[in-house]
Amino acid sequence: MKTIQFFKKRYIYFAISLCIILTGVVFALVNGIKLDIQFQGGSVLKYTYVGEIDSEQAGNLVEDALGKPTNCLEQVTQATGQKMLVVNLADYESITSQEQELITSTLTKAYPDAGLEFSTSQSVQPSTGARFFKNGILAIFLSFGLILVYVGYRFRKIGGFSAGFMAIVALFHDAFVVTAVFIVFQIPLNDSFIAAVLTIIGFSINDTIVIYDRIRENKTLMGPKTSTEELVDTSITQSMSRSIITNIAVFVSITVVYIFAQIYNIESIKDFALPMMFGTVSGCYSTICIAGPLWTMWKNHEAKTKLKRA
Amino acid sequence: MVLITAALMYVAFFGLHVGSLDLKGASEMRYGIDIRGGVEATYTPKDLNRSPTADELESAKTIIETRMDAENITDRDVTVDETNGSVIVKFPWKSDEADFDPQQAISELGETALLTFKDPDGNVVLEGEDVSKSYASISQEDGSYIVVLELTDTGATKFSEATGRLVKQKISIYMDDTLISDPTVNDQITDGNAIITNQKDLATAKDLAAKINSGSLPFSMIANDANIISPTLGTDALNIMVLAGKIAFALVCLFMLFYYRLPGLVACIALLLQVVGQLLALSIPQFTLTLPGIAGVILSIGMGVDANVIVSERIKEELASGKTLRSAIDAGFHRAFSSVFDGNITVIIVSIVLIVLGSGSLLSFGYTLLCGVIMNFVAGVTASRLMIRSLSEFKPLQKPYLYGARRIAE
Repeated sequence: MKTIQFFKKRYIYFAISLCIILTGVVFALVNGIKLDIQFQGGSVLKYTYVGEIDSEQAGNLVEDALGKPTNCLEQVTQATGQKMLVVNLADYESITSQEQELITSTLTKAYPDAGLEFSTSQSVQPSTGARFFKNGILAIFLSFGLILVYVGYRFRKIGGFSAGFMAIVALFHDAFVVTAVFIVFQIPLNDSFIAAVLTIIGFSINDTIVIYDRIRENKTLMGPKTSTEELVDTSITQSMSRSIITNIAVFVSITVVYIFAQIYNIESIKDFALPMMFGTVSGCYSTICIAGPLWTMWKNHEAKTKLKRA
Repeated sequence: MVLITAALMYVAFFGLHVGSLDLKGASEMRYGIDIRGGVEATYTPKDLNRSPTADELESAKTIIETRMDAENITDRDVTVDETNGSVIVKFPWKSDEADFDPQQAISELGETALLTFKDPDGNVVLEGEDVSKSYASISQEDGSYIVVLELTDTGATKFSEATGRLVKQKISIYMDDTLISDPTVNDQITDGNAIITNQKDLATAKDLAAKINSGSLPFSMIANDANIISPTLGTDALNIMVLAGKIAFALVCLFMLFYYRLPGLVACIALLLQVVGQLLALSIPQFTLTLPGIAGVILSIGMGVDANVIVSERIKEELASGKTLRSAIDAGFHRAFSSVFDGNITVIIVSIVLIVLGSGSLLSFGYTLLCGVIMNFVAGVTASRLMIRSLSEFKPLQKPYLYGARRIAE
C-alpha cells in the first residue's frame, strides 16, 4: 500500500481548518451567539391550531394582556401539515404558571374557531439556566483534562504529554466546528449543543487513539531509525480504511436520524443531529490532518532542540 | 467450538427475545418527560426575602404530594433541593387525559394550603395558622408513635372550647378538601399542647406532622422554572426516533455484511447483543431515558461499529500478509485490542464525568453511554472473538474471501 504523505501537505490542512473556524467567528460577530432559554432564561409556549391566525396580532394581544414584550411565530410541520403557534417572551425573566394560564386564556378567547390546543412550554429562570450552562461547560473541560492525563499515561512510549496535548488540540478543533455549525445555522445553544459536543469529543478522541495506537505499534516494528514523518504517515495510511468506514457508518446513521427529525420537525433531535453530521466529518479530518501532522512537527522540533543541546 | 457458537448465537437471540418479551418491559421503560410528555416544574417560595428552611421545604413538598394524591397522580417524582431552596416536581401527562390542564395544575399545586380542623357538623374549630408547631414524637407512656401539636395562644383558647364540647367525638383535619386525619377527642385540652396518638410508624407520624405544619407555611410556591410537553408531541418523537434508529441500524448492518462478509455478520450479531444489553441496563433499574440518553445510545453503537471495523480490518490485513486464517484471526484481535481498549476507556472517562457533574439530560447521556461502552467490551470484543473463532472452524467458512481478503488480493 502506498503511504499517503499527510505531513507534506500539512499547511493546506491547517489553512482549511483555520478557514472553517474563521467562518464561525465571522458569523458569530455578525449574527451573535444565541443562547437558548435553557441557558439564559426566558419562556416559550407552543399551541397547535387549525385555520389562520395572524401571528403578529396574536403577539400584540398577549403583550397587552401580560404587560411583557412578546412575539409570535407560525410553524408548520412538513410531514403532517400541523400548524403551531410559537409564543416567545422577550424577557429573560421566566414567567409563572399563572401567567401561562393567562396567555392560554387570552389566545383561546381571541381565536375561538382555531381549535387552539396547548402543546408545550418551557420557562427557565436565568439563574437556573446559568447553572446548567456552567455545569455543561465544566463537564466538557474536565473531560479534556482527564483525557489528557489518560492519553499521556497510555502513550508514554511515544512521548505521552505531546500526544495527549495534540489530541486535545484536535478535540478543540472539533468542538469549534460543532459550535460553528450552531452559529452558522443560527441554532440557539441548548442542551443538544452540550450533548453534540460531548458525542463528537467521544468519537474524535477514539479516532485519534486508533492512530496513536498504530504509531505506538509501528514504532517498535519500524525501528528507531525511521523518521517521525514516515512513521506517522505510514500509521495514518494503514488505519485509513478503518477511519473512513467507521465514520461513514456513523455519518449515515446520523443522517437518517436527521432526515426523520427534519421531516417530522422534532427540534431537539434536529438540533443534535445536524451538528453531529458536521462533527463526524470534522472528527475524522482533525485526527488525520491535524493531530498527526502537528504531533510530527512537535516531535521534529523536539529532536532539533535536542541536537542543538548536544 | 461449534457448540460455543451455537450457545452464543442462542444467547444473542435469546437476549433479543428477552428484549422483545420485555418489549412490554421496554414500554414500561421510564421515559423522560421530553419523550412521553409531562410536566417538570421547580417551585420556589413566592415573595420570600430569605432562604426557606429545610422544614418549610419539607412542608411544601407534603402539600404538593397531598394534592397530587387527591388528583390521583401517583407516578410522580417530588424532590427537595435544599441548596437552591426549591421543590422539584415531575409527573407524566397521560395521553388519555384530554381535559387535563397542566398550566392550571402547576399553579394549583403551589398555592398555600388551607388547613382546617372541623367538628362532626363541619364547623371549622381551628385553622392552620393557630398551630405554631407540629412534630413527630414517641409516647412517654407506651412508646408508640405520636404527633405533637403546639398551639398559639388564640389557638389554645379556641381548642380548649372545642375539645370541651367534643369529648369522645371526632375532630377531622383537612388540607384543602382532603381529609388527612380524624382523631377522637379523649379529654378537654386547655394548655395548647395536643397529641394525636396511634400513629402506625415514625414515617406516618412525620408525614402527618409535616402536613399540619403546612397550614402555617408563611408563603405560597410559584413555578418559575417549568417544562410542559404534551403527550402527543412526546410519543410522536419517540416513535419516529425508534423508526429512524431501526433504519440506521439496518443500513449499518448491510454495509458491514457487504464489506466484511463473515466478520461483518458477526459484527451485526455483536451489535445487536450490545443494544439489547444496553436497553436492559436502562429498563431493569427503571432509569429514566431522555432524548439525550438516546444520543448516548447512538454514540455507543458508533463505538461498537468501530470496534468491529478495527478488528475486521486487522484480520484482512493479516490475511493479506500471508498468515493462515487461524493466526490471522488471533493476531487481528490481539492487535486491535489495545486501540479498542484505549478508545473505550477514554469514553468511559467522559461518561463518568457526565454522571458525576450532570443532572437531568447530561446524566442520562452519561449513563447510557457508560452502559453502552461496557456492553461493547462484552459484545464487540469478547463475544465476537469467540464467534469468529468458532465459525472459522467450519470447513466451508474458511475461504479467505469470506473475510474480505479478496479485495486486497485483487
